[in-house]
Amino acid sequence: MLMERMILTKEDLAKYPFLREAAEYVEDLGLKVEDLDDFAYEQVINRAEERVQEAILYAIITKRSYNNDVEILSFPIAILIISTIGDNFLKRRYALAEAKRAYNLLKLENEEKILIMAKNFNWIISFNDKGVIEGLPYKFSIHFINYLKNATSIKGEKWKLINRILIEGNVPLMKGEVARLLAEEVRRYVEKKLDVKELPNLPMGLARRVEMLRALFTREEGKASLEEVPKAVVTSAFPPCVRASYEMTLLGKHIPHVSRFTLTSFLINVGVPVDKVIDLFRNLSDFNERMTRYQVEHIAGERGSRVRYIPPKCSTLRTYGVCVNVDEICKVVQHPLSYYKKKLQLK
Amino acid sequence: MGDLSSLSRTLEFIKGKFAEYYERASSKLKPPSSLERRELGFSLFEGGIIRHKRFTSLDGLTSTLKALAPSDVYYSCAYYERPDATMEEKGWLGADLTFDIDADRIRTACEKAHDSWVCTSCGAAGRGVAPGACPTCNGSKFEETTWLCDVCLEPAKAEVLKLLEFLVDDLGLSEDDIDVYFSGHRGYHVHVESDVVRGLDAEARREVVDYVMGIGLDIRLHGFEIRGTRRPRVVSCPKLDDVGWRGRLAKGVYEFLSIATRESLEGIGLRDKVIDIILAQRDQLLKGWGLLKGVDVNGWRRIAKKGAELRSANVDPVVTTDVHRLIRLAGTLHGKTALRKVKAPLSGIEGFDPLKEAVAFERGEVTIFVYEAPEFRLGERTYGPFKEKMVELPTAAALILLCKGVAIVR
Ligand code: SF4
Ligand SMILES: [Zn+2]
Ligand SMILES: [Zn+2]
Repeated sequence: MLMERMILTKEDLAKYPFLREAAEYVEDLGLKVEDLDDFAYEQVINRAEERVQEAILYAIITKRSYNNDVEILSFPIAILIISTIGDNFLKRRYALAEAKRAYNLLKLENEEKILIMAKNFNWIISFNDKGVIEGLPYKFSIHFINYLKNATSIKGEKWKLINRILIEGNVPLMKGEVARLLAEEVRRYVEKKLDVKELPNLPMGLARRVEMLRALFTREEGKASLEEVPKAVVTSAFPPCVRASYEMTLLGKHIPHVSRFTLTSFLINVGVPVDKVIDLFRNLSDFNERMTRYQVEHIAGERGSRVRYIPPKCSTLRTYGVCVNVDEICKVVQHPLSYYKKKLQLK
Repeated sequence: MGDLSSLSRTLEFIKGKFAEYYERASSKLKPPSSLERRELGFSLFEGGIIRHKRFTSLDGLTSTLKALAPSDVYYSCAYYERPDATMEEKGWLGADLTFDIDADRIRTACEKAHDSWVCTSCGAAGRGVAPGACPTCNGSKFEETTWLCDVCLEPAKAEVLKLLEFLVDDLGLSEDDIDVYFSGHRGYHVHVESDVVRGLDAEARREVVDYVMGIGLDIRLHGFEIRGTRRPRVVSCPKLDDVGWRGRLAKGVYEFLSIATRESLEGIGLRDKVIDIILAQRDQLLKGWGLLKGVDVNGWRRIAKKGAELRSANVDPVVTTDVHRLIRLAGTLHGKTALRKVKAPLSGIEGFDPLKEAVAFERGEVTIFVYEAPEFRLGERTYGPFKEKMVELPTAAALILLCKGVAIVR
């Protein structure tokens, strides 16, 4: 562990300000929030603002300051800014932006550095002594627990555990793949960092900047929501899984619980009113208005927890056997709702 | 069926036997690890469920069992900070990795002979497993009577063996951390208790389920190399001794093709031409595993899918992915059979006889009136079939019929 610590340079901490060592470095500087308006921090604040701006506008952080101290310090301040704005969507977007930034840098690192980074996150990882499998350079071997923690949020067939080589708990991986998984670890780490309970009072100058960034975010978010699903419901654009359940229900046939949940949440999310959804189930022999209304309103977020549910994603539906008659569009989407949007665009 | 008083007498009798069992067996009962971190739950003979209970000692648990004589006893696979708080406030700390292999998920020829269903809305009835929708009224709720049966339990055991191979060889889990149990009714539970798996979230568990069930498998990533874009063809395939899913695929395909008939090949949707090619090359295949020439990519996909199916473990995905799941506590009785949930040895599971090891009542006879019951075995003896008959049976055999609701104490 000691040796690994020594190998990390200050430049490394600037590139990867989420590292444990970087946090310790910042702590040692003993920086206080109330001093942040001080001219000495001007550059740091500018850089933090830039991080946030890029995240809002492009969901990736590309620019970089070549002053290592500025780079290292601006990270915790950007975290402070985002937490103050407080929007969950923005938090996710910022974490993603930092992860992408890290990924682009990680890809260029040598294998030793990658190994150190992974161990920094307490991964069980080692160099793979077999090295090459079927002509591919599987330089690393990581424990399936660390693999699953991160791979489940990455799209694509090749990231499914079943499509991996798995020997006695270890998954052989290539360097680029480890970098990709690490980026995911970074994303989760940043998201967690952003989940602060008690926020400090910001000095005036910084507070004003935060307000401007909040305004920028609100404006951008407004643009995005205009691109949301249109109001008219187009049944011919339903994905095959939903269509199957939909037709069965129209015929008064019973469908399994997961299918019913998928159908209901799908309909709600493409804009079918609650009453119309309830009507759909009237054909069922054991239709019970009160029960059905309760369930549908619950899914629509009009009761209880007040969250509106969305359908499970394709991979989940596959596990439960709801995914049927996949077509060409299915091959490029991961979620029934994206299928719907995609199909509408093609029409 | 029986008048009210004989029904309540029957219930009293069963409950009395359960209480007697817990009186006698509680010293042998093994609590789950970290008992104080688990939620306990009970189903009652009177109806209703008691949940969100926490026990800090085995004594507390056993005295509750004696007093309550519940029909079923459950504990959470999860560990909580506050097991007795509401779901939102429990504070999830992790969970064991559990699998349920249910004979009901595996079709057998004999289920037609011993299982039956009645539609609760119109009363229509039939044999075998209940249909998705009632053929008469389209209703979806059924009273099902499934039976305890050797033949049905045997393939479930085969699924357990396949699962164990996945857990040990692929996931690298230690055999010391794995326990296999007969559930006391129609299947097996496999529990993994280890720090390694405790923190897995539902998504990760779903990936594990997909892995053992062979879901989402892409043959191109498992040694089936496909070349060419205009007329793609398979140019190589995995080998029988490859590790993990590759070897499984190879073996599964080999197993399927070596006994395939024209019908079974048609069954997976192959074209006639492809079937001819396969049947013509079969002798050669049996001599040595290798790629069959002339089978197109689509054909291979279908064959590989079948091969994967033969090698995958048929578990219930819902149980494994539910990180709050309540499962039956080992050593307690199953309310539908009065059999115990018992541990099966990891090595030598082939010779394990669930219908002997799970018997909880070794003594005494009871006279009961049986409405209708197919033949069944318990321990060394077989009983029945019975129809509208008073019979004197050993306690364990009588209890099965009483618990199943096909007999009463007069
Ligand atoms: S791939 Fe997705 S959208 Fe398509 S049928 Fe399956 S679950 Fe539905
Ligand atoms: Zn009916
Ligand atoms: Zn049977």
